[in-house]
Amino acid sequence: MKKHWKSIAERENGSDTPEKQSLPKGNLEQILDIFDNGNEKSQSNRRDFLKLCGYSLAISTVLASCENSVQKAIPYLIKPEEITPGKANYYASSYVNGSEYCSILIKTREGRPIKIEGNDLSSVTYGGTSARVQASILGLYDTGRYKNPLKGDTQISWDELDQSIIQQLNQLKESKESAVLLTPTIYSPSTEAVIDTFLKSYPNVKWVQYDNRSASALIKANEMCFGKAGICDYRFDYADVIVSFDADFLGNWLMPVEHIRQYTKKRKLSDGNTNMSRHIQFESRMSLTGSNADYRIPVKPSGQAMLIAQLYNEILKIKGLDSYSVSDATEDIQELAKELWTNKGKSLVVAGENDVNIQILINAINYELENYGTTLRIDKQILTRQAIDSDMEQLLSDMNSGTVKALFSYGVNPVYDYFKGEDFGKAIEKLPFSVSLDLAPSETSAYFKYVAPDNHFIESWNDLEPKTSRYSLMQPGIRPLFDTRQFQSTLLAWTAKETDYLKYIKNYWEEKLYPLRTAYPNFISFWNNSLQQGIFEPKTKSFFNTKFKMAGIGELIDNIANAPKSSGFELQVYESSAMGDGKMANNPWIQELPDPLTKVCWDNYLTVSPKQAEEMLLETGDVVELNSGMKLPVYILPGQAYNTVAVALGYGRTDCGVVGKNVGVNVSKLSQFKNDCRVDFSIGVEISKTEEKYELAMTQTHHSMEGRAIVREASLGEYLKDPSAGNNSHQKYENAGIYKKPNFPNHHWGLVVDLNSCVGCGACSIACQAENNVPVVGKKEVIRVHEMSWIRIDRYFSGNEFNPDVSYQPVMCQHCDNAPCENVCPVAATTHSSEGLNQMAYNRCIGTRYCGNNCPYKVRRFNWFDYTKADSIPNNLHDIAEMTIDLKRMVLNPDVTVRAKGVIEKCSMCVQRIQEGKLNAKIDGRKLKDGEIKTACQQACPAGAIIFGDLNDKDSQIVKETSSKRNYHLLEEIHTLPSVSYLTKIRNKKTNES
Amino acid sequence: MSKPYGFFIALIILFLFFSPPALFATEADSTHVAETEDHHFDYFLNSEKRGERLFKGLSRIKTDVTSCVSCHNIDYIDTLNWNPSATAISKTFADKSIAEFKAVLMSPLGKKMEESHVGYTYSDEELGYIKVYLFQLKEDTIYTTKPKINNILVFVFLGMLITMALIDLLFTKKIKYKLIPILIFVFAFGYQINMLADGAMALGRKQNYQPAQPIKFSHKVHATDNKIDCRYCHTTVDESKSAGIPHVNLCMNCHVIVREGTHSGKFEINKIHAAIENNTSVEWIRIHQLPDHVFFSHAQHANVGKRECQECHGVVEEMHVIKQVEDLSMGWCLDCHDKTAVDFQANGYYSNGFKKLHEELATGVRDSVRVTDIGGRECARCHY
Repeated sequence: MKKHWKSIAERENGSDTPEKQSLPKGNLEQILDIFDNGNEKSQSNRRDFLKLCGYSLAISTVLASCENSVQKAIPYLIKPEEITPGKANYYASSYVNGSEYCSILIKTREGRPIKIEGNDLSSVTYGGTSARVQASILGLYDTGRYKNPLKGDTQISWDELDQSIIQQLNQLKESKESAVLLTPTIYSPSTEAVIDTFLKSYPNVKWVQYDNRSASALIKANEMCFGKAGICDYRFDYADVIVSFDADFLGNWLMPVEHIRQYTKKRKLSDGNTNMSRHIQFESRMSLTGSNADYRIPVKPSGQAMLIAQLYNEILKIKGLDSYSVSDATEDIQELAKELWTNKGKSLVVAGENDVNIQILINAINYELENYGTTLRIDKQILTRQAIDSDMEQLLSDMNSGTVKALFSYGVNPVYDYFKGEDFGKAIEKLPFSVSLDLAPSETSAYFKYVAPDNHFIESWNDLEPKTSRYSLMQPGIRPLFDTRQFQSTLLAWTAKETDYLKYIKNYWEEKLYPLRTAYPNFISFWNNSLQQGIFEPKTKSFFNTKFKMAGIGELIDNIANAPKSSGFELQVYESSAMGDGKMANNPWIQELPDPLTKVCWDNYLTVSPKQAEEMLLETGDVVELNSGMKLPVYILPGQAYNTVAVALGYGRTDCGVVGKNVGVNVSKLSQFKNDCRVDFSIGVEISKTEEKYELAMTQTHHSMEGRAIVREASLGEYLKDPSAGNNSHQKYENAGIYKKPNFPNHHWGLVVDLNSCVGCGACSIACQAENNVPVVGKKEVIRVHEMSWIRIDRYFSGNEFNPDVSYQPVMCQHCDNAPCENVCPVAATTHSSEGLNQMAYNRCIGTRYCGNNCPYKVRRFNWFDYTKADSIPNNLHDIAEMTIDLKRMVLNPDVTVRAKGVIEKCSMCVQRIQEGKLNAKIDGRKLKDGEIKTACQQACPAGAIIFGDLNDKDSQIVKETSSKRNYHLLEEIHTLPSVSYLTKIRNKKTNES
Repeated sequence: MSKPYGFFIALIILFLFFSPPALFATEADSTHVAETEDHHFDYFLNSEKRGERLFKGLSRIKTDVTSCVSCHNIDYIDTLNWNPSATAISKTFADKSIAEFKAVLMSPLGKKMEESHVGYTYSDEELGYIKVYLFQLKEDTIYTTKPKINNILVFVFLGMLITMALIDLLFTKKIKYKLIPILIFVFAFGYQINMLADGAMALGRKQNYQPAQPIKFSHKVHATDNKIDCRYCHTTVDESKSAGIPHVNLCMNCHVIVREGTHSGKFEINKIHAAIENNTSVEWIRIHQLPDHVFFSHAQHANVGKRECQECHGVVEEMHVIKQVEDLSMGWCLDCHDKTAVDFQANGYYSNGFKKLHEELATGVRDSVRVTDIGGRECARCHY
């Protein structure tokens, strides 16, 4: 058995709990703490207690005298045909946030969107979603959004705005002064057409695309190697060997939802598949991708180029081609080259660094490995990132020199996320005319003279082409909530043509896409079908030349070989897999989603390697100062390369609404510009320890399951020899109970989590939060261990602390058939159902928390406050995320009770969905089909790691999985008989020792 | 001696002070107070007063004409008056001209009004007064409860009994047998607690709730007299959790032609037309309402369970004004779940599992499967 540990403290002390922890506080003390407002010194005293008593007496008197208020029942005046009160409608649409794309279904109840689900018809995302996709529904109801057009700070009407902007545009046109339209990458064909017409009517306007995390180098490298700019389609599901140099393709690189799906598909061991891919990751910080790799090699960011050059050289040597003079490769690299060569055509090498030289070398390696056409698809391109970094530099200098007189900005926030943000802001301020077409106020839009607010994507029409010939439609789930107009309509209005963008899209589709159809007799049926499915995927091929241009590689390798060696610290900035680029910083669900590795939420921090921490006497929570003057708290992360530090982007927003304001530190300016590309790491960084301390909100060490076989794992070799490898104890405990196992007459609901597929992304957590009205508690409450998530993802390290193996394990209520929580409840608020569910009746719960204490999995959550305004007692409220105001409460699922203060809650296995599925079957008078009911976590999972079903249905997918030799229950030795089970994690390693 | 007395009196006062007033309000009782203060010196100048006198028939009474107030009630009444109340008229004609008001009053169109509105000769000036009077009437307080005095009296009386019993028991000792004051104490106190418990339990429930609705819609007229099926209006009862309150446009299916009611004339039906024309909603008073933590599906009960509407809603087709018949408490739900048989063999859903129940049915051990037998008493069937 490998020894798993959750934190360094646990590894050293054998226990998570720091020794010098003060005594735990009692209930009353904790409640009274609230009156202190964080002031530790002001001790609560007898007076506060008396006040509290008096207050509660008054409250109970008031409550007791409450009359039933008169409730109104207001029917529709004219009921929309498609709406049935009490039943949900789903609209196929698309999620877009800059370069992030996902094909989705919007679930609406009585016309209001409440949930986002993946669209499994899409062959791009295959029904998967990400945490941010799931959370974007809350963005619709964001109070921070623009509510009407603005001139400066004054509200104006759209007519006034249009008039003055058209006037200004015409003036600029007449005086031939140049203006710029700044957007993120536009991969919507119709929007491109709209922009084209706009540019044609105003030829003085130039269009610049800006992606804050661009794939500039990748595009340029492809242009240099193949003569065509663009990004290939990566097929991780065809690759037997994946080598990644700092490309976080499961986290934020290119199209993570698609990549997770491909990656895990190849690594699934169900259905007799034994051909798992091997994944080798070179990186400095521990990324989500690196944590899932079979082998992970920590290297400094600056050292990667050399390794890639060596790998290329070795492959050339194996092929018997002329090699270059680079320093000799280590054995590891030689071996890697051999392995890649044996898997030629079935391997994939990727690099995340935005460096043209590196990307050219990677192209060369893939070319030599004959991967083009197999794992790198040339007939389809990824179109979500097209921006070139140097355009932005050019724009900045043009604005400073005064050649650009006007700026129209849509969907970008360079003042916040460009490394020269401050300069950019000053440049905008100097412009005589500037218009922001953003959704919500941002650091950038604050500088603009006019604001023409955009719709949220759930209020908009659009079409998209994220990959060549993979079209998808975006349709609104609700009318615009505020007086806003979508960007495309606004541009159309300024070109004095038809302003109805929907008509525009339809015309475009009729003209351009309708001819590509294979079925459908007329355009109307083609359009309606495409709209209903959300996608249109014609078979078209667009080849680009795979003839590789070799010239210049020698020079390039010489450059790399002769580059000065760096010593000292290297700092890398990255997008965390939860927060991303910070556009969703005002979304409390995203803020409270812990980082998969560090389990920190509501903050960014500097990750430091354990060795470094030892040398510098740093502890997690110490504040250090960088030589750029920035102060950051430290987090000691096992696996971080020595002499490197890393910090997440997307935090430190100053102008985004109340939730995300001043959470963390903005580190965008730590990026650099080299060789016409943004570079994410900087060398020669110095850090110095300060005396300050900072408290990070961690969910990490709260739920330790010490020293037990929680995550079971084996290597692929072991598994092939013995399918129950790593899971030998299962047999022992399986039938160890002295009592009879309970019998369930009809259904027996269960979940299986495939630990081999789970990559730890956290989409399930947010999906659960949206589905089940799980509240947001805020940083302070997370520190006090009061977080509410029903499904958490435990992360365990094993092995060497400098380069540990990582395992993720989603833990939700295990729905034990012999549940320890049920028999300690004094009021029978939690009981077992005849369908194997561990039921929780909130209205019966009196809040003794005995069940929480007795749960071996620590999945029961207690409502210390009323976070979502479930009752009308004002003093119970605790609202850090505006979740009690009516606008944001629109997101609540009407089929799930909003819990009040003082009750326990936990995963219900989406019983509302089970009941709905059963009812539908009963109405039709038929048996329930396997796969008909999906839990929210299962639906959201891009990896297909969670399978829900009826354990009594012998033909179901879940029974197939549970009868696998890899199947085990969490803590099965205590014989709680959970309905949730796990499948052992298999690593594609030679042995499982490290 | 005075100290214990004071203590007990304080105790009683305290007890009364903190006892929930709702306890004393068990029956629906509503009030509407039209303040009528007399200001004699401006009497003849006040058009409101003149309007009131005209409306109530106190001035210019012709013997052959009935006064307005005899049909159009000013105060809230708990019996059904098909004629529009004074406040309803005030609301309808608030922004209409005197000429329109006059036209409706003096030359009525509907059959019902033609019968009653005969021989009224009011001048424009007088009609103006009436309108001013009507306009100042406060809106109906639709459903307000006032504490029922009997309950308070009983409660206070019992409190006094308890006090006296205790005094006698501890100090005066006039009663020979100690058992008597003890029994009085026990019974009186027990009854008080019982009253408190009843009051507390009734808090969230609305049995016999029968408020006045914004439109005098009669289920009896529609379902019995005109034989309209429940599902014609409550369209979603078979497919959704909600049976559906008919949208106003649905009413127009018939009322686009049926413009005058048998009882209420044109006044009530006009409200539907007004709602459609002015794009305003009809705000019904909700009667049957379960707490937020209860999930109830009409589709499950009416469609799958094949329950009749009347089983829960009472004989709705006999009601002019809709009323909550059952208390909709959990005990009531479970009683029915215990008694009601499931359509077990006909519905294909049940064919898969429940082996034992199927066997028992086949062998005749049991004659039917009740809701309870298939988990109808489990929490998460309704609470999630």
